[in-house]
Amino acid sequence: MAKKQQRGETAPSSKSAGTDRRTESFSLTLASSDDEAPEEVTFEDSKSAALRSMKEALDTARREKELLKEKRRKRQELFQEQKKRKLLPTDVLEEIDSAPSKEQKQSEDEAEEEQQEAGEGEDDSRRKKKRRRSGKLPHSRNLKGNYTVTTVTERAAASFQQQTAEDFIQSRLYGAGSCRSTSKEAFTVPRLHYICTEGVFLCAFITMNTHTHRSAGLMWINPPLKIVPSKCTFSVCLSKQQV
Amino acid sequence: MGEFKVHRVRFFDYMPSAIRAMAFNSRTERLAVARADGALEIFNFADHYFQEKVIPGQDGRAVEALCWVGQRLFSAGLNGEITEYDLENMRPRYTVEAYGGPIWTISSNSQGTLLAVGCEDGTVKMFELLDERIRFQRNLERQKGRIISLSWHPSGTLIAAGMMDMIRIFDAETGKEMQLDPGVIASKSKEVVVWSIAFLSDHTIVSGDSAGKVQIWDGLTGTLVKTHLVTKWDVLALAVSQDESSLVAGTSEGTVVQFQFIASTVDQQDKEWVRTRTFKNHSHDVRALAHTETAVVSGGMDTQLVVRPLLDKVEKNTQESALRKIAFPHRSLVCCAKKAGLLLFQFPDHLELWRVGESDGLGKPGDSLPVKRNPEKLIQLKRKGEDHICCSALSPCGGWLAYSTVSAVRLYRIQYNNISITKVSKLPKDLRSAHQLCFSSDSSKLFASSSHSSVVIVSLNQLECKHLHTLKPRSGESRPVHLLFASEDGKWLAAANADCEIHVYNLHKLKLHCTVPVHSSCPTAIAIHPVTSNLVVVHADQQIFEYSLMQKEYTEWSRKLQKQGLHSLWLERDTPVTHISYSPKNPAHIFLHDMFMFCIIDQSLPLPEAKTMLYNQMTLRSLPEPERIRHSHAFKISLPLCLLEDHSLVVVERPLLDIMSQLPAPVRQKKFAT
Repeated sequence: MAKKQQRGETAPSSKSAGTDRRTESFSLTLASSDDEAPEEVTFEDSKSAALRSMKEALDTARREKELLKEKRRKRQELFQEQKKRKLLPTDVLEEIDSAPSKEQKQSEDEAEEEQQEAGEGEDDSRRKKKRRRSGKLPHSRNLKGNYTVTTVTERAAASFQQQTAEDFIQSRLYGAGSCRSTSKEAFTVPRLHYICTEGVFLCAFITMNTHTHRSAGLMWINPPLKIVPSKCTFSVCLSKQQV
Repeated sequence: MGEFKVHRVRFFDYMPSAIRAMAFNSRTERLAVARADGALEIFNFADHYFQEKVIPGQDGRAVEALCWVGQRLFSAGLNGEITEYDLENMRPRYTVEAYGGPIWTISSNSQGTLLAVGCEDGTVKMFELLDERIRFQRNLERQKGRIISLSWHPSGTLIAAGMMDMIRIFDAETGKEMQLDPGVIASKSKEVVVWSIAFLSDHTIVSGDSAGKVQIWDGLTGTLVKTHLVTKWDVLALAVSQDESSLVAGTSEGTVVQFQFIASTVDQQDKEWVRTRTFKNHSHDVRALAHTETAVVSGGMDTQLVVRPLLDKVEKNTQESALRKIAFPHRSLVCCAKKAGLLLFQFPDHLELWRVGESDGLGKPGDSLPVKRNPEKLIQLKRKGEDHICCSALSPCGGWLAYSTVSAVRLYRIQYNNISITKVSKLPKDLRSAHQLCFSSDSSKLFASSSHSSVVIVSLNQLECKHLHTLKPRSGESRPVHLLFASEDGKWLAAANADCEIHVYNLHKLKLHCTVPVHSSCPTAIAIHPVTSNLVVVHADQQIFEYSLMQKEYTEWSRKLQKQGLHSLWLERDTPVTHISYSPKNPAHIFLHDMFMFCIIDQSLPLPEAKTMLYNQMTLRSLPEPERIRHSHAFKISLPLCLLEDHSLVVVERPLLDIMSQLPAPVRQKKFAT
C-alpha cells in the first residue's frame, strides 16, 4: 500500500517533478526515493494488509447493519408505545370480545359516529356523546375519560349508501345550477307596482298569497310624490312642493 | 255568549313534513301519502278527505315510493328495504331487504302478482306476491346506471325503466332488454335524470326528466314522438288517469301541467297528447302526484296536500268542485292539563311540556292584556329508540305523562317542586303499544287503545302501575281506535274507531254499555258532557249528533238539529272539527274548533234558519243571533283549544307564514315588478 502510494504519487508528479528532479540532480542533493530500488514488501505483509482491509470492510458493514437494526428496534418500540397509549385497558377488551351485541343498529350508529369522531380527534364531542348516550346500551362501558365502547356491525355500509343516495337527490334538486332562492325572499309581503299617469302617481300593492286569497289594495296619492322604487319595501318621499 | 280570557299560544313550533310519494287505490278510494320523516297517512277520499290513519315514521326509513296491490300497501325507500304495512294495526307488518342498495321506485303489474323495484345498483328486482309475504324471484339484466323510475305495461309483459340519461324497456318474462331508447336528452354538462315514466297500453311511453321536458315515445320502435318543454327546472312526477286519456306532470316550480289525449282540431281523427291546463297550487317542488277519476292530487315540499277536481268531470260551483288544501293533521297534537295550566306538545321525536303564562289585568273584549309571568318550557323529553311518537297524553293534574310508539308505551311521573321527571319502569305486559292514550279526570287511571279495538286500563299510583282490565267491544273486531274520551265523573269511556263505530263503556261495571248507531262518516271528535252525560260526536261530513248515554238514544236537541239540517255554511267548511269542550259555567255551551275557526254552540237558543247568515264576533255584537260562529281573523290556525279551570281559554296557534318560512328553498322565479 505504501508502495502503491508512492508509485501513485510519483507517477502523476513524474512529469512535473521531472524538471524539478533535473534541477535537483543538478544541485547534487540525493533524492531519497528515486535512486533507490523499490522497497520490498513481503507477501505476508501484503496478505495481512489485504486481510485487514477486508476485515475492516466487514466490520463497517456489520456496524452499519447493527446501527440500522438498532434504529428499527427503537422505532418499533416507539410505535408499540404509541399503540399502547391508544388502546384501551385489556380488561375492557376482554369484556367486549365476550359480550355479543344485541342492539346492532344502535351500536352501529354510535360506532359510525365514533369513527367519524376519531377522525377529528376531538375529545369534547366524544364527551358530549357519552353524556347523551350513557346507560343506553347494555354492552357499552363508560371508561374514565371520554370514551364509550361499542361494537361495529355491517349496517354501516348500508347507511353510507343511503346517505349517498340522499346526497344525489339533494345535489340534483338543490345543488349547483338549480337556481333556488330562499323562502324569505319568496314570501316577502308587499311587492311594488307603480304606474305613472300625468303627475299623479298611483301605487298598487299586492300582498302575497299567504293563505288562500290574494288581496289587492289601491292607494291614490294626490299631490305628486317622488317614489323611490326599492325592491321589497315600500318607501315614499314627499316632494317639497305640496304635501 | 260569554267573555273569556284567552291565552294565545304561539310557541308550538310545529313543522309538518314534506310529501315524498303518494299512491291512490281507486277501488277503496283511499290515498296513501308518504312523508319525508317516514310517516304514512291514509286519506279517505270517499269521506270528505278525512285523514283516517297515520302510521308514524321511523328513523332511517326514507320512503321514496308507494304502491298499492289490492288492499295491501307496500313502500320502498333509500334504506334498501321493502315494507308492507298492516293497516288494521297501523304499523309495518314486515320489511324485506332487497340487497340492491337504496331503492328508488316500486311498481306492481296490473294482475297483482309481481312487484318490481328499481335499485341503486342498476338492477330491477322482481318479487312474487304471496299471501302473507313477498318472495324474491329474480333480477333483470343489470344496467350501468341507477334505476330511478319504473312502469309496467298494462299487459304485464313489459317494463319501462327510466335511468340516468336513458330509458330501457325490459321483457318481464325473459328479463332481457327489448330495445334501447337512446334517449335523449343529452345535455352539455349534467346527466339528465328521468325522474318519472309511464307506460300506456298503446305502447306509448311518457317520460318526465330533469331537463324540464315531458317526452312522448313510441315504445315499439323506440323513437321520440314529441317533446314538450314544460319548465326550466325538473319534472319530478307523472300520473296517468285510469282511462289513459289524461296525464299530469308535476314540476319543481310547483306547477302541475295536464296533457290530454285529444284530437288537436275538431275534424281530425288522429289524437295526440296536447298540453291543456296548468295548475299552480304549490309554492315548492311537487314530488308526488295521483290522478283519480275526477281530480288531480298533488303534494310536495311545501307539505300541503292539494286536491284539484277537474272541472270537466265534476259539476261546477258545487262542494265537489272546490279546491281542497290539506295542510294540517286531522288529529290533535296538543294535550292540555286543565287543572294545572300545562300544555304538552307532541313532535315526532320529542315531547315538550310548557306552563302557560299569567296575566292579572282586566280589559274589554279584544284587548291584549299585559303578561305578568311568561310561559316557560318545563321539560323536553326525547323519545327512545327509532320509532316516532304515535300519540301522547298528559294527566289533568299534570303529574303523569305517557307516550306511545309502535313498539312501546312509556309512562313518566313528573314532580313540580324542582322540575323532575322519572320513568315508571315496570309497565303491565298488556300495555305494549297504543294508538291512543287518555288519562281519567282524577288522574288515577290510564286508558290505552291497543290492537283489536280493545282498551287497556291501567291504574296509576305512587308505587306501581297495575293492569286493571281490558275492555273489548265484541269478538273478532280489529279496527284501530283513534278517539278516546273519559268523562269528568269517571263513569264513562267513549272509544271511536276508523270503522265509524263508537263504543261506550261503563267504567264502574267495566263492560260495554252501548254502541252508538253507525253514521256513514267517520267521527272526528267526541266528548261526554260532565253533567248531562250526553255524548256529542262530530263527523267528517260536519254532522253533529248528541246521544244520551242514560237513555241510550239521541237527544231531543239532536233530533231537532237533524230534522232541520245543519246550516249550509257550516257544512261547506273543509276542515274537520278536532276538539270539543264544555264550559263549567254554562252547561248549555259546547265549544268546537277545527283548524281555522272556533265556535260556541248554545243549545238553549233556537237553531238558525237556512237563510240566515253566520256572522263573526265583530258584526254580531249588536245582533242577537241564535247560533253564532265566531270568526276571528287573528285565529289563523287554531290547533287545540281547551278550557282551563279558571275559565280562561287556551288557543294554540301556528301561523302558516311561520311554517312557510322554514321550508327548504323554492326555485327562484322572476316576478313582475321585483
